[in-house]
Amino acid sequence: MSADAQTAEIPRTQDGRPDMNGIWQALGNAHWDIEPHAARAALQMQPGPVVPVPAKPVLAFGAVGSVPSGVGVVVGGEIPYLPEARAKKIENQENWSERDPEIKCYLPGVPRATYMPFPFQIFQSSSHFFIAYEYAGALRNIYMEDPGPAQVDSWMGQSVGHWEGDTFVAEGSGFNDQTWFDRAGNHHSASMTVVERYTMTSPDHILYEATIEDPETFSRPWMIRMPLYRHVNEDARLGQFKCVEFVEELMYGQLRKNPIGSEEGR
Amino acid sequence: MIAMSGFSSDVKAQVQTQTDGQWVMPRTADGRPDLQGNWTNATITPIQRRRDQDAVYSLEEASRLEGGRAARTEALNQPSDPDRVAPPVGGDGSTGAAGGVGGYNYFWIDAGDRVAMFDGELRTSLIVDPADGRYPSRTDASRQRMAEASQFRRQFGQYDNPENRPLAERCIVSFGSNAGPPMLPNYFYNNNYTIVQTPDHIMIMTEMVHDVRIIRMGTPKPLPEHVKPWFGDSWGHWEGDTLVVETTNFSPTQLNRGQLSGATDNLKITERFTRADEYTLNYEFTVDDQETWTDTWSGEVPFTRLPGLVYEYACHEGNYAMFNVLSGARAQERREGGRQTPER
Amino acid sequence: MRKNQTILALIGLATVVTVVPLMAHHAFGAEFDRDAPIRLQGPVVRLEWVNPHAWIHLEITKEDGTNEVWMVEGGTPNTLLRRGLRRDCLTPGTEIIVDGYQTKDHSLTRANGRDVTFTDGTKIFLGSSGTGAPYEAEMLAARQQQGRC
Repeated sequence: MSADAQTAEIPRTQDGRPDMNGIWQALGNAHWDIEPHAARAALQMQPGPVVPVPAKPVLAFGAVGSVPSGVGVVVGGEIPYLPEARAKKIENQENWSERDPEIKCYLPGVPRATYMPFPFQIFQSSSHFFIAYEYAGALRNIYMEDPGPAQVDSWMGQSVGHWEGDTFVAEGSGFNDQTWFDRAGNHHSASMTVVERYTMTSPDHILYEATIEDPETFSRPWMIRMPLYRHVNEDARLGQFKCVEFVEELMYGQLRKNPIGSEEGR
Repeated sequence: MIAMSGFSSDVKAQVQTQTDGQWVMPRTADGRPDLQGNWTNATITPIQRRRDQDAVYSLEEASRLEGGRAARTEALNQPSDPDRVAPPVGGDGSTGAAGGVGGYNYFWIDAGDRVAMFDGELRTSLIVDPADGRYPSRTDASRQRMAEASQFRRQFGQYDNPENRPLAERCIVSFGSNAGPPMLPNYFYNNNYTIVQTPDHIMIMTEMVHDVRIIRMGTPKPLPEHVKPWFGDSWGHWEGDTLVVETTNFSPTQLNRGQLSGATDNLKITERFTRADEYTLNYEFTVDDQETWTDTWSGEVPFTRLPGLVYEYACHEGNYAMFNVLSGARAQERREGGRQTPER
Repeated sequence: MRKNQTILALIGLATVVTVVPLMAHHAFGAEFDRDAPIRLQGPVVRLEWVNPHAWIHLEITKEDGTNEVWMVEGGTPNTLLRRGLRRDCLTPGTEIIVDGYQTKDHSLTRANGRDVTFTDGTKIFLGSSGTGAPYEAEMLAARQQQGRC
């Protein structure tokens, strides 16, 4: 299909913009690891008699906890870490079960929220561009007018958007240093800024690109790129994954009056 | 001082040319009233009226209430004694939420400065029906359900498990009925909302615990009975310039909490949103469950423009308090040497 | 009670004056021990502008000469942000005085910020009546001259 024919099909809002309203989701497995990677037994390993084996916290998951292979979504393949930052990434991986914020149902940050294995919904009007993510009820109100620099860091940052032709550009800053890019320990500092570009390539596809800049962590800016797919089934709706409840035993179980597994708690 | 530096840009965008002093309803591209932007329902007016109180305040009464709150703010802004000593052993006598330990400084609170003005009336309650401005009577069946729920809770001390703590303290949903429906103020802070509107959806975000309600426009396609999302399933349609939203399929946990305690699957809440002027969104609601309340009950709440941004309220991520409360209860039990009887 | 008497009665009480809602906020009385009052004075070492409560970390010097960091619980920073909170409002190194009560778990050096002030007694932040009262503008201008918010 020629580029012209594709562009002609794209639905538009009444103010002439590509209409990105709807429910979208990334495919693939960037959420496991955004760099190219082979399949591996688990997110956290321990030395075994012959080869490394899954570490104790993940052992019971078996193949459900195994990591699928991926060609990666980082343009150019590798994240350009500064040496200390790459060492920290490896440390994160070795201590994944204690460090990955996803485990505690913490807000995923940007761009991880985009490619979590959950849909999100875009609400686009002439004055607003709002994204509601199913995962953990995360959300972003991408301001169409710059309110000035964020005075407090946040999990989902503060983003300001504008249109460049048919591409919606969102510039994010004011992120805290608590989020990861994936389950593979890839991290950043609070100096990170993210510039996202959303370009509809067909009525049911958005090309998503995000450029990450963080001189404290990386030697240069770098980009990820992936398609986003529209949920086209008629009964498509954003579900709720309010996972805070699901992690209370994990986080507070020891503080129960009668912890499970203790003499009184049985 | 109101921080005007963060004034919402969409207010400027929506100011319409006034001809003959008449305000013109701002409209979206599809001709509907534009309800978008940041709103607050913070108010001094309580949800329920005192017994034998009139439906409206006189100007003098309202001024006294608002002045009293302003005076309190002024008083509590005054410097403290830098040579003050620690507060007394045994508590400082503070009551209610301050819990005998004095809570924290008043400058953290933003409970609202104004009596609720709706259609030009200074209201003494948000509930307007029943006529006495108070919740209607409950059915025996609903009282029975509430008693059973209460009996279930009584098997636990209120600090035994995280599940025994209020949902807001667990950072699962907003305080009280902030997100609703019905959407009511919490009388503490952050009573703020962002509304985004498209031809086929209305999105209402509540600042507290970043709760999101997604209202689909059109003929309702009922959810299967067993699918019960938080905040229910909402469908909207326009009646002239009023957005009407009907919500059913409430989650059982939501029916076991606050104003909706003891309600059944038959609960239906209808809300009406009408843009009254540049700075006001009139919000009306009706709660209907004949198996729970002997009558429907309704309220009217003015939502006014929020002069500022709505900020992230990432609650669970910073919830030291939950840890402190549970570890504190365990520490106290150890000090008292043995099982603590549940506090009632 | 006449207005003046009300103000005088309140001045001694730099705490939350109860607004009792239908749905009670978590009980401070559950988290903090009314039998363990504290008075802390020292420089801010870290600020956590987080929800549901902001936490101000300050370093105190104990009687034996060693240092100890305490965490002091505040409220929601969102309220302060709408009143002009900026990154440079309360910077590490600024000395503050806190009175309050320690957590019931005495193994934690944490307390409620019952009253948090600068060393001259002024509050670290100001409430707003939302009325635009002249006294507020004056007070704010005076504070800004001192580099405070």
